[in-house]
Amino acid sequence: MAIALARVDDRLIHGQVVIGWGRPLDAKMIVLVDEVVRYSDWEQEIYRMAVPADMQVVFATVQEAGARLAEWQGSPQQVIVLTGDIATMAALYSKNPAALSSINLGGVHHRPGRTERLRFLYLSPEEAAMLNDLTVHGAVITAQDLPASRAVPVAEVLG
Amino acid sequence: MRARVRALFRLLSLQASWNYERMQGIGMAFAELPLLEEVAYGDAKLRHAAIARAAEFFNANPYLASAAIGASIRAERDGEPSERISRLRTALCGPLGALGDQLFWVGSLPALLGLTLLAIAWGAGAWAVLGFLLAHNALRLSVHTWAFDMGLTYGVRVGGAIQASWLPKAVAVAGPAAGFLVGLAAPLSGAWLLERTPTRGGLLIASGIAVALLIVRRIGWRLSTAEVTLGLLALAILWDAAKGLL
Repeated sequence: MAIALARVDDRLIHGQVVIGWGRPLDAKMIVLVDEVVRYSDWEQEIYRMAVPADMQVVFATVQEAGARLAEWQGSPQQVIVLTGDIATMAALYSKNPAALSSINLGGVHHRPGRTERLRFLYLSPEEAAMLNDLTVHGAVITAQDLPASRAVPVAEVLG
Repeated sequence: MRARVRALFRLLSLQASWNYERMQGIGMAFAELPLLEEVAYGDAKLRHAAIARAAEFFNANPYLASAAIGASIRAERDGEPSERISRLRTALCGPLGALGDQLFWVGSLPALLGLTLLAIAWGAGAWAVLGFLLAHNALRLSVHTWAFDMGLTYGVRVGGAIQASWLPKAVAVAGPAAGFLVGLAAPLSGAWLLERTPTRGGLLIASGIAVALLIVRRIGWRLSTAEVTLGLLALAILWDAAKGLL
């Protein structure tokens, strides 16, 4: 499978993604799907800062990434697809459910209106409903910050 | 200039007010305050908003966090919109954390510890420990100051500037260098220890390592390179001790 990881993480590109997942998966490309960062040169420079030279970074909107999911899925390279929130991942999933069959919740942190589900996962009622909706549509969702920790099935988180 | 020194000094206590809600946020605001007082806002409300902004959630490697303070102050001086400054700080957390953790925690710190162990095994004695403390702190304080000045010079463009600097290249070699030095130091310092420890002492060390490994393993089942190295070292000591007993 060439989309090796589809992850929701509000810290976007950081150590857990580049080192924690990137190395064991041997990922050569990170696709950062974010409507604002896509058009912000200086933010792109900051997110590129911590990415090793042999790893490519692509910044895309949901529309752009959705159109290329099949291409990345068929690529010989291992690709990590990253969004900053659940709504963006849900929008992306609707573009090509087959390419994003499993979704990883890696970090959604405290904000007013969200309640703690796991140490690294806080959800608003709307976000919990979105996750539920995704599973109804066939997505396999687990919460897992690092490869060595347990993948908690979303049913356990929502239940 | 005095404010710069005060901010750098205050930043040394960055994690003293660490908490789960804002992590290093309060420490960042405390360090930034002397510099924010010098920014000409012309309106107390704007200054208060800037201080509140400085105290927002922040978490990065403590030795590189100074880059975010420098960049924020530059952005405040340039009159950047508040939304942009908040986004700047948010964006810097992850990358500064990743770079700093690789450079220090899995790079220079274990590398210097490996060198220290080697120096002790080769007879440097307690001086090696003093040398370690001096070298580690000289390195982190100079990176701390350098990162601050990079931020202050480049503002929101700090990402591109750091990427083009020596830092990513150093990060790429720091980890392998640390692995090499610790790998070299483990058996040599183990041998040094065995030479001056009677068999019973060797057994004590080996059991100590074994107990430590067991405690670590209670958390999960995967073994890191360092744990495998320690495990092998414990086995070697046990083997040597067993030979002594027979």
